[in-house]
Amino acid sequence: MAQPPQIDTVRAPDRSVSDATRTRRFPSLNLPLLVVVVLLSGYGLVILYSAVQGEERFEFSKQLVGVALGVVAMIIMWRFDYRRLSEATTFLLVVNVVLILSPHIPIIGTDAGTSTYSWINVGIQVQPGEFAKLTVILLDASVVARYGGRLDDPREYCKALGIMLIPFLCIMTQPDLGTGLVYLFIGAVALVAGGARLKFLLITLLAGVVAIACVFAVDEVIKNATGDYKLLKQYQRNRLLVFLDPDIDPTGTSYNLKQAQIAIGSGGLFGQGYMQGSQHALHILPEAPTDFIFCVLAEELGFFGVMALIALYVSLVLISLRIAGAAADLFGMLIVMCAIGMWLFQILENIGMTCGLMPITGIPLPFVSYGSSFMLLNFALIGLIGSVWAHNNTSGKKGSYATTR
Amino acid sequence: MVAALIAAAITLVVALVVIVVVFAVRNRTKTPYAGQKKKDVRSVGNVGVSSSLGAGGKHGGGGSSAPRVSSSQPASKKPADGLKSRFAAIGVLAAAIFGSLSVKLWSMQVMSSEYYAGLSAENKYTVVPTPAPRGCIYDADGVALVKNRSMLTVLADADVASDRDVVQRLSTVLGLPYNVVRQRIQDATSGAQSQRVVVSDARLRDVAFISEHADAFKGVSVETRTVREYPFGALAAHVVGYTGAVNEKNLASASNGRTIELGDSVGQAGVEYVYDDLLAGDHGQRTVIADADGNVVEVESETQPTRGSDVTLTIKAPVQYVCDRALAALIAPENGTIGTGKGCAGAVVVMDVRDGGIAALASYPTFEPGLLTGSISNEVWDTYDSDESYHPLLDRVVQGEYPAASTFKAFTGLAALKYGFAGGGRTWDCGGSWDGWHTGVEQKCWNHSGHGILDFRGGIVNSCDVVFYDIAKSFFDASVLGGNAHPTVSDTAMQDEVEKYGFGKKTGIDLPGETVGRIPTPEWKAERWRDVPAEIPWKGGDSTNMVIGQGDVLVTPLQVAVAYGAIATGKLMKPHVLKEVRNASGAVAATVEPEVVGEPDVDQANLNIVRDALRGVGTENAELVALFNQFGLDPATVACKTGTGEKAGQEDYAWFACYAPYDDPKYVVACVVEQGGGGSAVGAPLGIEVLAAALKCDAGELTEVAPVAGSTGKSQPLATSGSSGRTD
Repeated sequence: MAQPPQIDTVRAPDRSVSDATRTRRFPSLNLPLLVVVVLLSGYGLVILYSAVQGEERFEFSKQLVGVALGVVAMIIMWRFDYRRLSEATTFLLVVNVVLILSPHIPIIGTDAGTSTYSWINVGIQVQPGEFAKLTVILLDASVVARYGGRLDDPREYCKALGIMLIPFLCIMTQPDLGTGLVYLFIGAVALVAGGARLKFLLITLLAGVVAIACVFAVDEVIKNATGDYKLLKQYQRNRLLVFLDPDIDPTGTSYNLKQAQIAIGSGGLFGQGYMQGSQHALHILPEAPTDFIFCVLAEELGFFGVMALIALYVSLVLISLRIAGAAADLFGMLIVMCAIGMWLFQILENIGMTCGLMPITGIPLPFVSYGSSFMLLNFALIGLIGSVWAHNNTSGKKGSYATTR
Repeated sequence: MVAALIAAAITLVVALVVIVVVFAVRNRTKTPYAGQKKKDVRSVGNVGVSSSLGAGGKHGGGGSSAPRVSSSQPASKKPADGLKSRFAAIGVLAAAIFGSLSVKLWSMQVMSSEYYAGLSAENKYTVVPTPAPRGCIYDADGVALVKNRSMLTVLADADVASDRDVVQRLSTVLGLPYNVVRQRIQDATSGAQSQRVVVSDARLRDVAFISEHADAFKGVSVETRTVREYPFGALAAHVVGYTGAVNEKNLASASNGRTIELGDSVGQAGVEYVYDDLLAGDHGQRTVIADADGNVVEVESETQPTRGSDVTLTIKAPVQYVCDRALAALIAPENGTIGTGKGCAGAVVVMDVRDGGIAALASYPTFEPGLLTGSISNEVWDTYDSDESYHPLLDRVVQGEYPAASTFKAFTGLAALKYGFAGGGRTWDCGGSWDGWHTGVEQKCWNHSGHGILDFRGGIVNSCDVVFYDIAKSFFDASVLGGNAHPTVSDTAMQDEVEKYGFGKKTGIDLPGETVGRIPTPEWKAERWRDVPAEIPWKGGDSTNMVIGQGDVLVTPLQVAVAYGAIATGKLMKPHVLKEVRNASGAVAATVEPEVVGEPDVDQANLNIVRDALRGVGTENAELVALFNQFGLDPATVACKTGTGEKAGQEDYAWFACYAPYDDPKYVVACVVEQGGGGSAVGAPLGIEVLAAALKCDAGELTEVAPVAGSTGKSQPLATSGSSGRTD
């Protein structure tokens, strides 16, 4: 997992880490981060271009618009001083709740033909739940950052936990379990990275497991009483069952999984060739441009294409970790850690579900999957990380890099 | 499943171990940034970088960076430094995620890629069979009985059904209701990937319109397909049979090497059924790439179908035409309604006695094979499978079992001659009835006024029952059955003799569903009546019934024809309808050789006595002489026998069997008319007309062939003659 050679920038050998990758002319820029993002989103677009072939519901140009908007958002976020938000926990909480619940507002909210209320229609259809990932990251970071790296008090721990659970509960009203799990994971990363006591973390994990068991148990009781499962939808149940035994129902739910795996496996070392993937071209692969876009990559470009993507992700994570390590304050560090956590979880879940390591849940692949909302969010997160980098030693004075012109 | 779990578990464990090792190494340097520092160190070695930095410093950039260095120098003040272990945890998590994903992908894409590639190819390619044209069926002189006809078929892809505009246009152009068009396109019986037939026999004008406006008919195509065509309608319908959609029975009975695909036409009766393997040809194969909806994206490869072999039959179409026409004229002369003529059903068979080739085989009522091709509509099925229509699909020549009546006397007579119960100057006095068993119940001769004194020949010529009753009594008395302590003949002496001529056995004709008939024996009777002990013993009456072909005797018209052929030539031939097979290129691939099934060991003198008696039937009965003359035949050149079968509660069954020429036999004819009346009154005219036609055809004087209509399925109650008794 070598660093891309592009990270060959001006470095000061005996200076601190923070200076190591700073460009001479634009010290607030982190060139490795930018290079990785450019490569990643470029690679993503290349894959998507192939994936949308023959898919009438998806337009490549929309994704390009998403990228363009994302770049604008990234620049804005980069220049924005994240520290202004460090004390705005209440504000962030309100923003989160409003965002996530907005699809329920009668006029703008829509289920876009599905059964979940995840979209709002403001001229164009957007998924506020995706944007809320950003605010959830900010919220979780600001909540945990208050404790200065030591979260030893059980009451305070519970309070933090409670606040961080609110977005999850809100998203479950849509319901959107996939995004909800992302929120939970962001919270978990915030707590781990924020110095919560190990004992608390383990107890929370245990409580989570018990809660899941309870959901299943209560659901069973409800089913016995009313004859129907209420808490978990049948398709969610099926996905879990299929994960446990892929041969359960080859034409139904596990059909998707089976076809996804055939697509991946048939890619081999070098793939069937760009735009040549038969599983995808013949529409055997379900949801190719969105949830199963990884299969398109794996089928057409093979193991090497896949490893290239993973190498880019590893680079992104490593660079982000370094920026987190160099962050000036705990809030900034936690923002970066949470962003890393979000990406890690989405990568794990998206790729993992296609190759059978994880149960099927509709979570997009960062920088690759079709969806302007998510693309915009990813760039915004990069911008936020850039902001943490830019403000790690400039004492909040913009003039610092203004002098370099 | 278990293997997958184990593999996943091992993957995770390995990934974790690797990660732990990596972090253990990293932790030894006591800072999570060891790797990063190393990179920094490495970049130190980059002379270009340091020199450019130096240059940058000269340009003033260094000025601003210098204080930054000092401000960030106390690295311990960074919040991250207090949370090194937490950084490590996240790092481990990331490493675990990427590690396990990579290992899993490696195992899938590198270790098992062949397995998945196979599945992918299975998904990708679909082999669609293309139907092969069946071979044609010709008569002995090359007249096509069954042909193929090219048919313009309008086909549509399955997804056209959801395109309102195209369906609407098709509906308008083809003149079909919208719903019918849509329904046909949705019909997936011919396979999911295959195109759906909208109209199977489209007009050229419509096809031209569709072809010209291809843009407006997206997914619609026109194909030339072949269908069975029957130029002469129902002519020889029971011989050629018909084809139909493949059914389970066909699949079960399909021979090795014969592939039957869904939607194929398979022979269901007659020659089409028996020689289906020859006629069917080999499917072409189109390997197509089809998408998830079953639409063909690309044709990868294609092999052309091989046309089936042509089959030439021994049938002579002109003779067959006479048979079919004569039966229809006899039984249903008015509007094709059964009951307006004589009898309700009939069968005629003409066989070449020299090689067993069937020159004509007709059963009435008959059917039009064209109506049964493909899927049979309920209407047609009802017409052809009801008591009212008298079951036209039944081939009465090979499947109809009737009492043999007096046609049987030739064979029981041969038995009597063999055992000395007749011939040698023995005479009988027929007084019109007989009470040889002394039961007080007299058995009547068909001629109630009696024939007077007759020798054996006279017995056959006049078909005198009394003569044969007495012969039967002789057999009975001489055996154990008759209580003879010193039997001179076996219990089944008569049956054994009769069976030498093929009765009670299949003739072996190459047509399906042949029945064996029945020659009763004491053993058979015991089995038949095992639940009624009083009926078990073989009685004298059973013998006297059997000797005149009544009682429990059942024969098929084909058996009678083959048996009379054996009298004519002394050889029992295996009847057949196939003459030769020509492959797709027209060369003769196989010719059927005549097969002698058996040669009854009979005294030539006895055979000559019977032959002479059979000739006497024609020459010494004024009624028959008139008929022979009518059809231009010399009675002296024909050997024949009439028969009138009796069935309780039904009109008599008229029989006629004959062969000619007498000196050098060529054709044997057997016919039966169910409930038609007397043998000489109803059977003989039919048989003689057919025999005359066969001989004429042989002489090249008869060539007329015309289409024959199938049965209408209509019938009316049969006219009753008032049961005037038999009129042999």
